[in-house]
Amino acid sequence: MSKTGEYSTRVVEHLVLSRDVFRLTLEATKLAAAARPGQFAMLGCGSGFDPFLRRPLSIHRVQGVSGTVSFLYRVRGRGTEWLASRRQGEAVSLLGPLGRGFRYEGNSKRALLVSAGIGVAPLLFLAETLMGLNWTITILIGARTRKGILCRSDFERYGRVLVSTDDGSAGRRGSVVDLLRKVFDKDSYAQIYACGPQPVLVAVSQLSADKGIPAQLSLEERMACGLGACMGCVCQGADPSRMVRVCADGPVFDASEVILNG
Amino acid sequence: MADLPVQIAGIGMKNPVLVASGTFGYGAEYRPVFDVSRLGALVTKGLTLKPCAGNPAPRLWETPAGLLNAIGLQNPGVDVFISDILPVMRSYGVPVIANIAGFTGEEFVALAERLDGSGVDGLELNISCPNVKAGGMALGADPCLAASVVAAVVRATSLPVIVKLTPNVTDIAGLAREVVAAGAAALSLINTLLGLAIDVDAGKPALGNVTGGLSGPAIRPVAVRAVWQVAQSVDVPIIGMGGICTGRDALEFILAGASAVAVGSALFHDPLAAVKVIKELERYCERKEIGDWRSLIGAAWKRGNSLAGEVR
Ligand SMILES: Cc1cc2nc3c(=O)[nH]c(=O)nc-3n(C[C@H](O)[C@H](O)[C@H](O)COP(=O)(O)OP(=O)(O)OC[C@H]3O[C@@H](n4cnc5c(N)ncnc54)[C@H](O)[C@@H]3O)c2cc1C
Ligand SMILES: Cc1cc2nc3c(=O)[nH]c(=O)nc-3n(C[C@H](O)[C@H](O)[C@H](O)COP(=O)(O)O)c2cc1C
Ligand code: FES
Repeated sequence: MSKTGEYSTRVVEHLVLSRDVFRLTLEATKLAAAARPGQFAMLGCGSGFDPFLRRPLSIHRVQGVSGTVSFLYRVRGRGTEWLASRRQGEAVSLLGPLGRGFRYEGNSKRALLVSAGIGVAPLLFLAETLMGLNWTITILIGARTRKGILCRSDFERYGRVLVSTDDGSAGRRGSVVDLLRKVFDKDSYAQIYACGPQPVLVAVSQLSADKGIPAQLSLEERMACGLGACMGCVCQGADPSRMVRVCADGPVFDASEVILNG
Repeated sequence: MADLPVQIAGIGMKNPVLVASGTFGYGAEYRPVFDVSRLGALVTKGLTLKPCAGNPAPRLWETPAGLLNAIGLQNPGVDVFISDILPVMRSYGVPVIANIAGFTGEEFVALAERLDGSGVDGLELNISCPNVKAGGMALGADPCLAASVVAAVVRATSLPVIVKLTPNVTDIAGLAREVVAAGAAALSLINTLLGLAIDVDAGKPALGNVTGGLSGPAIRPVAVRAVWQVAQSVDVPIIGMGGICTGRDALEFILAGASAVAVGSALFHDPLAAVKVIKELERYCERKEIGDWRSLIGAAWKRGNSLAGEVR
């Protein structure tokens, strides 16, 4: 399945979704053909040697027919700022697809997707894929405020969407973890998929262990090579003597495979 | 295309472009991206006697035109390397150099003994890692200690011994002379520079290990200076490294006295950097109609330099 490569791509479309959230669509035929949900790419984010490292971004959406790949990202620092300045037709270099993506198991084909903030990015591609495999899915999206809820209408095409905001400006008031607990009490699921800030992943991991429902978590760590070579992006494995590489052993892990701190 | 053959410590290479230990894993990781048999030689991640879990995360932090790392030698240990990894590395048809890291002098000897006859083509002694508490730089910054370890390893193995030096010393040429007198057949320089970054938002050190090693273009002038000084002090070949990203960067090291170069952190910026360096060196030699590329080695300080005035 190794279609990983270094590609020079062109910006097809670059949309501003909110003040600091962008959707970047690149012409990348080979990547579009090879990418699986949960995988990511390392994007060159500068024109010289500073910033020096590429930035990892999850594959958000793939359009096989047009050979394009989209990324959904939030501007955090210098790298994503540079990326945000790229215009239609300009070049972006990209290494991918990388990592081990989501796995689809379970007989009941009922999945719960849990995200907060920019964590929706990899879950849209997953939702679309699961629908194609006739899964029934519920998508939980959490954010601080109404403006932070991303891709709601996109997700509504694939399943039931429930929303929570810290200030109650959209959906239920509170965190997505509270929402998760509530949904859990009512229905049963074969699989949980989660992406978001560390506290959300920790809570999902805990709930998964308590209720005995397997969860897959998409993790983040600072990266250099993205290929499993430098040992820079590790996280604690379930076996305490083993550090696992987020870029190559993940970024998607079974909750039982890793120990999250925080 | 111009030929760029070279011999380093008796290891024949089809070109003088290697990869820097720790940035290339064991080669397989980069195979999806390019044909690793194009390289002059492969250098492994630092190998220890027992499996090593490495340092706590975070292990990486970007800095201006470079990065700090504190991996702490995570590797599966020399035995797993020999049984599971080396056969795959050898199948690429390129010389394999094992970078070894003992936590004591005895461990260096044990590692060398283990690897003797295993099928590796040479050893690179990492007496320069800044990210471990014992061995590494602590050992390699003391010329007497360094020389005694090198002498013991040379006695223990029939393999060519390349010694990798730390730049974190005041007199790198003096250190190089001691190590060569002890039997080093070649030298690699430089390993990373000891550094530290504070994550201002978190109000604490950015790396789990607190300090780390600085690499990338930011350190290139330090590395070129080290090669320049050492090349004029010893008679063994030098593998130069530190921020090499392009063919022109590689030429800086060669003109300063390196007989080969290694591409490391540049692979993080562009995974094709090493193959681009090879192509650019070939093109340079053709364009300048250089018969034997080795005439460039140390040309920046050698008398009777035919390139003087042109490249300087
Ligand atoms: C596998 C993977 C997939 C990712 N997918 C997405 C995505 O789809 N959309 C998105 O917006 N972001 C994603 N991220 C996070 C993204 O890589 C970082 O936000 C980005 O690298 C920041 O770069 P910068 O130069 O803008 O900021 P920097 O100046 O480098 O840092 C700014 C802030 O971002 C944090 N940060 C930097 N690098 C990382 C990192 N690798 N992981 C986590 N936090 C980091 C820093 O702690 C800091 O607070 C992903 C990260 C990983 C590891
Ligand atoms: C992530 C990383 C891991 C490294 N691991 C090792 C190692 O295991 N053994 C070693 O001798 N040097 C190691 N180094 C040092 C490099 O081999 C090289 O000497 C140094 O990075 C300077 O070259 P560069 O600027 O081209 O990377 C490592 C460097 C980096 C960035
Ligand atoms: S980023 Fe190099 S091993 Fe993951």
